Amino acid sequence: MMESAMLTDNARVERWTDDAVMAHVERISGGSLKTAAVRIDEGYYPLDIMAALGQAGTLGVHLDRHGARVGLSIEAMQRASRECGATGFLMWSHDVCGLYMEQSGNPALSGARLDAHAEGRTFGGTALSNPMKAFSGIEPMMLRATRVPGGYRINGTLPWVSHIATGQYCGAIAGVQRDDGSVSHEVMFMLDCDERVELRPCPVFSGMEGTSTWGVRLNDYFVGEAQIIADPARPLIARIRPAFILLQVGMALGVCQGAIDSSLQVEPMLGHVNRFLSDRPNELRAELDDAAQQTQRLARTPYDGSKDYLLEVLDVRARGSELALRAAQASLLHQGARGYLMSAAPQRRIRESHFVAIVTPALKHLRFEMARLCKEEFPA
Amino acid sequence: MNAIVSDWKQYICRACGVIYDEEAGDPDSGLAPGTRFADIPDDWECPLCGVSKSDFSPYKPTAAVSSGESVAGASLETGVVIVGGGTAGWAVVETLRALDADVPITLVTACEGDRYRKPELSVALSQKKTAQSMIAEAATAAATRLRVRLLRNTFAVGLSSSLRQLRTTSGPVSYKHLVLALGACPVMPDALPKDLCWRINDLAMWSGVQRALASGPKRIAVIGAGLIGCELAEDFARAGHSVTVLDVNPAPLTGLLPEKASARLLSSWTSAGVRYKARSTVTGITQNRDGARTIQTANGETLHADLVLSATGLATEPRLARAAGLRFDNGIAVNSRTLQTSAPNIYALGDCISLDGAPCRFIEPIAGQAEAIAHAVLKRPHPGYDHQPPVLCVKTRSLPILMRGAPSRDLQWEVVDEDEQQLSMAQYRDGALIASLKVGQRSLELAS
Repeated sequence: MMESAMLTDNARVERWTDDAVMAHVERISGGSLKTAAVRIDEGYYPLDIMAALGQAGTLGVHLDRHGARVGLSIEAMQRASRECGATGFLMWSHDVCGLYMEQSGNPALSGARLDAHAEGRTFGGTALSNPMKAFSGIEPMMLRATRVPGGYRINGTLPWVSHIATGQYCGAIAGVQRDDGSVSHEVMFMLDCDERVELRPCPVFSGMEGTSTWGVRLNDYFVGEAQIIADPARPLIARIRPAFILLQVGMALGVCQGAIDSSLQVEPMLGHVNRFLSDRPNELRAELDDAAQQTQRLARTPYDGSKDYLLEVLDVRARGSELALRAAQASLLHQGARGYLMSAAPQRRIRESHFVAIVTPALKHLRFEMARLCKEEFPA
Repeated sequence: MNAIVSDWKQYICRACGVIYDEEAGDPDSGLAPGTRFADIPDDWECPLCGVSKSDFSPYKPTAAVSSGESVAGASLETGVVIVGGGTAGWAVVETLRALDADVPITLVTACEGDRYRKPELSVALSQKKTAQSMIAEAATAAATRLRVRLLRNTFAVGLSSSLRQLRTTSGPVSYKHLVLALGACPVMPDALPKDLCWRINDLAMWSGVQRALASGPKRIAVIGAGLIGCELAEDFARAGHSVTVLDVNPAPLTGLLPEKASARLLSSWTSAGVRYKARSTVTGITQNRDGARTIQTANGETLHADLVLSATGLATEPRLARAAGLRFDNGIAVNSRTLQTSAPNIYALGDCISLDGAPCRFIEPIAGQAEAIAHAVLKRPHPGYDHQPPVLCVKTRSLPILMRGAPSRDLQWEVVDEDEQQLSMAQYRDGALIASLKVGQRSLELAS
């Protein structure tokens, strides 16, 4: 049984060639995902599609064990996001969760558990929006950990975490409190959404409703050795931060590309008036290609720890947001009333592009962070 | 299948743009694939917006309009974008505006962009100046006068030359011509922590040092006895501080001055109260509890100072140029006549450039460089920039030093004239004078 499972794994992984992965993502995106996009926008959580994407390798190829093909992973996410930004976001959440597991070096997380995750047999996301902002000094850390025999007890509430459900999981970070209440460091752990975790419905968002986003409340939630991703958390976060941010660019560029598609779609009928608009499809196409090239170049060295590299990753991530916003806006103007129909892709993409620009790291935070990195340090 | 059957037609809903394709039909409303538009019942409605069949008209796709026919492009007059609000950046603004009253100009600057005379930084402390008193013209005033769109405290973070797009921390900026006047940054050996060592390369940095020294006489360690280190050391001493200069070389300005000349500088420092620690490599700096810094050197010495100033050289930050694929060789490589970088429509000048691999970080060449760039950008005739080695005037007031020409390291300096007050030297190649050096001043010259 064990042996056959291993053989199957090997065979599966061998099938994940670059070409095969892209062929599968093309088939899934142009087929079931395209069909489901409106339904996902309305709230359908597409685990069936995620499973298919996982089986095709799109959720695993960025991992070291599968060749650290971050560029391929981004390209696949871009292709899916072209049809549905929410699914692109689920892929990103899933991808970074896999990254945490692999980088944890914890056998309980990086073994069979990661195999299942990477192949889309189990599902989990990331609860790092708050801690990432906390590390940049933008907001306080929401989860608190206290040391107890064998692990930590975690308390606190996260307002919205995506790609989770009962039986699923997500990577999370809590500030470890000393007896006097001060924070000594942070611990990163796998938050298994079992019966101890209260998942609370979120208010209705204007988009991304199919991403299974919940409020998470932890009340003395025990984290044991098997769930520890990194303790302390900061070195791991510093190591994966560029990849964490760079992977999101796939979602941004995909939304942009889908919007360009929509503008081009009406060109035969409306080109004679649309030429009075700015952000014409050809202009945006050139910018998209340039940004995609920059992304793929950066994806070749995802663990470059230099400041210059991080700056360029932040730059291309900001580009992605700006391009998605402009392209989505342009596509609605190009399509006119037909794009304004609730079933039409352009109005949905406008909401998706807004998400791209506000999800952590938001456009404003990217600029804030780039400015911070550019500033020289001097004596106090 | 015969030709007539396959000759499917398309009809477009004039209200919402939905296309009815005879070949595909509309199975959702009961129209099988292959249903001719004429055969659709009259009470059929648009599947998307609900208007009637009569609101559809025949649709023939036309070829897509190419971007060349786009009329929006005409309004995108993006003009000249200049990155850098120092002497070089403003020189280009002034020159452009003098030649053309209308060309749109945007100035992107990481600092406040206020205008001041940079060489003054070397002598300002002893003259009891403040950052405010050194500002010759506020950035906002200059921008209004020269009609410039000013983006201050804005960092340039990305550049795509094929798109003519500069990306900044205030968002992307499109340009027709881009001028890089990025300046150079102090470089520091790893042993010097940035949070413990000051550097002075612009008004803001100078202002930080000035504030740190404002409370009274301090012990200052200057690391590096190059041009900037020597000038500042003297100025600090004149301002009443106790100054020690550390350098890896046996004498200050080694590499620039012959031994005979640097010996004179060293002896003038003795009377000016500047101590010199020769052959000293700093291996570490730490902060004590009282805020003072402890400096360790490779030869085992320990020094205590209230303020450490690093003057260990300048370098051009290559990140932006490299990200844009511009040729970089000790600086942004430019054509020595046109000042154009390796990318079309991108020019560079001042401290950030290199000519044939050599940077030339002085004020004097900037005006000529700005002239050449402004003429090229505006397509006006111009003979091009003609690079000449600038006259080098070291503002060591205890012993002024003046150097002309392009001295060579492999030529000997010969004494031309020498007395107690002044030393004149020269370098000759094949009998022709290529460089001259004057160290010190005769009292007659001082009087004049």
